[in-house]
Amino acid sequence: MANTKPLGPRNVVGKVVERPKRAVGVQTYVPEIAKGLGITMGHFFKNTKEMVLGQRNDPVLESMDDGVNTVSYPEQRRPYPERFRGVHRLTQRPSGDPKCVACLCCSTACPAQCIHIVPAEYAVGDPRRGYERYPAEFVIDELRCVFCGFCVEACPVDAIRMDTGLHPAPYDSREQFIFKKDLLMQFKGRDGTQESGNTRHEPGDPTHPGVTREHQPH
Amino acid sequence: MTEIILGVVRAVFVVMFGMNLGVICTWVDRRQGALIQDRVGPDRAVIWLPTLVARALAVLPAVAAAGAVLFLAMQDKQGRGEAPVSMGRAVVFSQLAVFLAWVTVAAMVAHVRRRGAESGLDRTLVALGLPRRIALLGVCAQLGLLCAMALLAGSPLGDLVAGAAYGGGVLLLCAAMIGGALFAALNMRGQRVGLRLLGLLHPAADGLKTAFKEDIIPLGVDRLMYGLAPWLAFFPSLVVLGVIPFGNTLCFGTAPDGQLDITALMPALGPDGVCSGRSLKLQVADLNVGILYFFAIAGTGIVGAALAGWASDNKYSLLGGLRAASQMVSYEVTLGLTLIGTMMIYGSLQVDDMVRWQANNAWGIFVQPVAFLLFFAAAVAESKRIPFDIPEGESELVAGYFLEYCGMKFAMFQISEYIAMVSAGAIMAAIFLGGWDVPFLYPDGLHVHIGKSELFSSLLPHPLVILLGFVGFVLKVVFMCWLQLSIRWTLPRFRYDQVMRLGWRVLLPLSLGNSLLTGFAILVMQSASAELQAAFGAAADLTKAAIAVGGLVGAVVVVRFLLSPPRHRQSVASTSARFAAAAGGTRDAEMGA
Repeated sequence: MANTKPLGPRNVVGKVVERPKRAVGVQTYVPEIAKGLGITMGHFFKNTKEMVLGQRNDPVLESMDDGVNTVSYPEQRRPYPERFRGVHRLTQRPSGDPKCVACLCCSTACPAQCIHIVPAEYAVGDPRRGYERYPAEFVIDELRCVFCGFCVEACPVDAIRMDTGLHPAPYDSREQFIFKKDLLMQFKGRDGTQESGNTRHEPGDPTHPGVTREHQPH
Repeated sequence: MTEIILGVVRAVFVVMFGMNLGVICTWVDRRQGALIQDRVGPDRAVIWLPTLVARALAVLPAVAAAGAVLFLAMQDKQGRGEAPVSMGRAVVFSQLAVFLAWVTVAAMVAHVRRRGAESGLDRTLVALGLPRRIALLGVCAQLGLLCAMALLAGSPLGDLVAGAAYGGGVLLLCAAMIGGALFAALNMRGQRVGLRLLGLLHPAADGLKTAFKEDIIPLGVDRLMYGLAPWLAFFPSLVVLGVIPFGNTLCFGTAPDGQLDITALMPALGPDGVCSGRSLKLQVADLNVGILYFFAIAGTGIVGAALAGWASDNKYSLLGGLRAASQMVSYEVTLGLTLIGTMMIYGSLQVDDMVRWQANNAWGIFVQPVAFLLFFAAAVAESKRIPFDIPEGESELVAGYFLEYCGMKFAMFQISEYIAMVSAGAIMAAIFLGGWDVPFLYPDGLHVHIGKSELFSSLLPHPLVILLGFVGFVLKVVFMCWLQLSIRWTLPRFRYDQVMRLGWRVLLPLSLGNSLLTGFAILVMQSASAELQAAFGAAADLTKAAIAVGGLVGAVVVVRFLLSPPRHRQSVASTSARFAAAAGGTRDAEMGA
């Protein structure tokens, strides 16, 4: 209700705000406190029972339900989502060689410049010589990596992936974060494979068109 | 000499009780606060034991306990079969044995069901059904056994049944203990076993940590007062426990030199509870000022807080100290005045007399319900706890009066707050919840009666009566502590002016009015007729019956609640959850015991 009567030396016309009308039960606190205690105790008893009897929620599968949903890391772990960019791995050919053709696309695309590749030619007489190269050294500094995934995007042959679902372990020296080719090739993808999904027609395969630079005019 | 040793023993016992409960409460506070908010809370402290040691720790105590049971059972003529076994003893042992047996089997079944059956024994256990079914069968077996033995007690078969139940009970008790321990030992897998005790090791770990922390003393503090303040805050909260009786008077025989003979604990007392030998009060000091001592000592706790705030050379600390002083002084008044009514009714200041009055009549919470509420509010404020924690209010004063403290000195403030909570709980248990009084438990045994009509009666040995009273007292203290913790996790903090207004304008007039009304009520009751007096006595017995019935109903509700199956909804809506589901879930990851 508006107060039309001007008040005070400045003739302020104000609005009277009534005090909230509270029931006696609310004003005396006690019933309201009992109500609040009921809520907290309900949670307490349910959760205590489930913790003690080993009936607590699965912190990942039943995380949307009432109850204790804490993931007791590291004994319990929430798996990373499918598209999580974890530690890199180098995919393999069926022969066990790295899929990488040492094109340097990944190290060029890398904004952190954490990939170091020393490309090398195949030996004379190898069908792949002059067709593609291989990495004599492939080093990733996981401490410098920003896990942006540009290297995976840049790779033309699906040789580098970040689908291991692992994060780098907390090592205690910088050297341990320098992941070399052999280690990178040991990691497996989330589906357990080490080979690339992108099968290619290698020189010498019957399906390969047989194009080599030696026989073609440039 | 014996008296002095017993005095020291009682003092050490009470101090250890208060300190341990206080330290455990500091942990329980966080753990309970977490569970209320659907979190796990601090439960990570663990001692890794080599599996062999863990197995020994499981089996050896069980074997020792079984041996002790056998030894105790074989000690007298009844146990050796030279005299007929009394029915009471047979009931106690058979009930204990059946209870332990079904609990053990249910725990074993739960474990096997969780990890999957591997051997023939496992498959047999799984075939028994869910643990809930075993618990129900076990309770039915207990009740059936009790009824059968009660029916056969007078008949000619009675002696035979009692003997069989006694012998079988003792053997089943030993078998359940050793069997359960062996099962646990054989199921310990891996190189090491984590001892976690539901997180109860956490307070010990915290204590160790604070003991080894660096004690940083800021420049500019008053070093003497700064060092003195934690002690001044710590001691009062602990020493008030000295006047609280934690059990009924123990009765001993008299040695030849007229002193108390500690080896001769009276086997039983008469119905009047009069001790013919030397009696030992289970209380450090039965002061005639009693409850006034509590107020005097608890009041000096203010000095520690105020001194800490002043000596720390920090404006926030000073504000906290000022607030602590003003708040505690304000509520000290209410705290004392609320008890005027109870003092008038009990007619004594000695806490032991107060408890005795409640044991003979009705508990204080029934005679003085308003005083209980007022005292509870004032006691929470007095121990500077939420919702009255303005001296510490971290959103305004960082940490208040102990802001500049760290390491063990900080821990002393922290623990003293919880010990104050324990001693407030103990005082409330003694004055309002009947102290060591268990309904219908008299010095010579259990007598359930309303007025003069006796419903049930059973004689119990004197040490057992005292022990039951002590357990009752501890449960009441734990309940009051738990209630104060729950209040903390339920209510938000009052503003400073609200705290002051509540203390001076609400609690104080209410407590004065309460003592006035109590005075009138006492006058009315004293001038009442004899029939009315008897009716009051019957009403007092009814309150005891209400407590007993409430306790039994509560126990049934708790068992029902514990046995109710958990219901959880799965929602596999993310790729994370799909990976977890493929791996068989994340709940049963190995955490250790």
